[in-house]
Amino acid sequence: MISRKTLSVAVLSAGTMLAAPVAHAEQIVLKFWDNQQTESGLSVFQQEAVKRFEEENPDIKVEVTTIPYPEYQQRLLTAVQAGNGPDVSTVDQIWNAAFAEAGAILSLDDMIEGTSISGDAFFPGAWESANYNGNLWGVPFNVDVWFFAFVNKDLFEEAGVDPATISTWEGLEAAAPKLTDPATGRYAIGLTGNKSEYPVVMTNSLIYSNGGTVLDENGKCALTQPEAIEALEYYKRMAEYAPAGILNAPNEPMRELFLNGTLAIELWPALEQPALEKSEIDWDVYAGFAPEGKTAVGTFGGWNLVVYKGTEHQEAALKFVEFMTREDVNGDVVDLIPANVNAASTFLQENRAKPDMMLEHLNNAKPRPLSTQYLQVSEIQQNMVQNFLSGSASVSDAAAAACAAIDGL
Amino acid sequence: MRSSKRNSELWIAFGFMMPAAILVSVLMYWPMVDTFRESLFASSFINPTPEYVGFETYRRILADPVFWQILRNSVVWTMGVVLLQNVVGFFIALLLNQQLPGQGILRSLVLLPWVLPGVVVAILWRFMYDPQLGLVNSFLMRFGAIDRGIGWLAEPSIAMAAVIFVAFWKGFPFSTVIFLAALQNVDKEQIEAAKVDGAGPVRRLIDVVIPAIAPVAAVNVLLTTILTFNYFDIIYVLTRGGPLNKTAIFPTRIYEVGFGQFRFGEAAAYGTISVLVLVLVVASLMMFRFFGYKEVRS
Repeated sequence: MISRKTLSVAVLSAGTMLAAPVAHAEQIVLKFWDNQQTESGLSVFQQEAVKRFEEENPDIKVEVTTIPYPEYQQRLLTAVQAGNGPDVSTVDQIWNAAFAEAGAILSLDDMIEGTSISGDAFFPGAWESANYNGNLWGVPFNVDVWFFAFVNKDLFEEAGVDPATISTWEGLEAAAPKLTDPATGRYAIGLTGNKSEYPVVMTNSLIYSNGGTVLDENGKCALTQPEAIEALEYYKRMAEYAPAGILNAPNEPMRELFLNGTLAIELWPALEQPALEKSEIDWDVYAGFAPEGKTAVGTFGGWNLVVYKGTEHQEAALKFVEFMTREDVNGDVVDLIPANVNAASTFLQENRAKPDMMLEHLNNAKPRPLSTQYLQVSEIQQNMVQNFLSGSASVSDAAAAACAAIDGL
Repeated sequence: MRSSKRNSELWIAFGFMMPAAILVSVLMYWPMVDTFRESLFASSFINPTPEYVGFETYRRILADPVFWQILRNSVVWTMGVVLLQNVVGFFIALLLNQQLPGQGILRSLVLLPWVLPGVVVAILWRFMYDPQLGLVNSFLMRFGAIDRGIGWLAEPSIAMAAVIFVAFWKGFPFSTVIFLAALQNVDKEQIEAAKVDGAGPVRRLIDVVIPAIAPVAAVNVLLTTILTFNYFDIIYVLTRGGPLNKTAIFPTRIYEVGFGQFRFGEAAAYGTISVLVLVLVVASLMMFRFFGYKEVRS
């Protein structure tokens, strides 16, 4: 004889067993892709944040895929093109417009209404990088600036130069000869001129700091404008004080020279600081350089979070984006600087030298051209820099050729 | 009766060949045909729907001075590497073919550069060529050959020579091994007969050894030409085709256009042209070999 109690337990158990798969089937699974640029244990931090998100949203499960930076672009684009992309991913600021134009991602203007996502919460340049053709296509996730000037204080002292003087173009130009001695293998500044994004962000920063731009408001090339020409001329003059072999120099050898004590100034985003802290170099950091009376303006680098058109879970995806860019979360899930200004402020106070200076430089920074053909624009700029650094063309001729090519795209 | 048996044997033979033929067609020839088809369409990441443009992409590429620079570079690169690799490889094979002490160890050491992956070789030589910290400059400065660091990969006039040297360094063991195998098969009696006839070492080399290994040498040149023309990793890691496109060759350009800028149609057109150029080069080499033999025979 089965008791009523036993029967009830049996019925309840059977009900639970039947209900469980139904509840599981209703759970939304979001695929999130990100890349890792530093050895900061990012994927572990992100997994912890994801657990928190899943606790706050029990009906959503997030699968995080972290891909090494060098492979990220190719894997993401191949997956998106093949239709097996994630629901949410980071995209480099310079890809955002192309992803929008390709119809791969969702415009977020209507979707963010009623959420806590708002332009005021982010660095202006980073927010600008997520906008294209009057619409919002992403939410800034992390940022950094090309460039901060890290200085070797011992080399400055030996040369009798006050490091603070390099914040102006004039001061840097006066200091550079004193800091350079090819006979002893010492050089003032690590500039680059190889085929890569390095010379582009470095020259852009000088152009922005001089009040110029790469593309004007109509999308036309502005590299032949006087502000840009002056900046490029300045870059060429300063290349005299950079280590030999600039036409094949990426930035990594410059770091090696800085770390072995033969380079006085290296130009890197703020993410360089942890590496310097492990070294024996007595270093300091300054915002970039600007002509006397002007403010140094850096070139923004960083990543935006985007939601893919192919996702079946738009609402959940946006909820996840909102969570990852929230003030109390953003600092825990990025390996650069949080794009959320309040989170960045806390992060900088805790982790970086001269946090106020860094925050101001981040607030002033401008993104690279928001063009769907950015990658071609960048290649043309790289060729332009090589042309004038090699002497095969004057700065103005190289800039004119670059503008003809950019406007012809 | 015999004919029907022969027919059925033929069908069986075809049956056995079909799986391999289908695999080869699907895995090798279809991608090649598809690449050509893609080159007739304009497609990129931002315009994912292919638009038929016929040979317009080819016209644009041929009108671009960069294309002609890449063509010249590809020829110089291939000829430079193949020539150095085979000439030096041949002489090292001759040395290794002598009864030298420690020959086994020497042969293993010679093979070392070849077994290293191309990317590793390129990174190694990037350090060697470094203008400030590299061994090459340090060595030359110590012997007074130069008085300041040279940017071997940064000077437009010498960058191609520098990358050719690296590819030669990596590739010469391949030629050495093939030449060595050929040398060990040269008929000893012929060499002895030449000695008896009073031929010295140089005469024996020219009149006996070289003709005997000529067919192997031709295959060696052919293989190294194809491999070198399609090389990618060494140049990409060392210079990315710079400075001023002085070391850009077809594979680096295809990668840059296809995977760097996602202009798939243009990358496919570059790929098709590069295959055509390679076919021309290989056909010329084979014709040269064919007519060379004919001349010898006549």
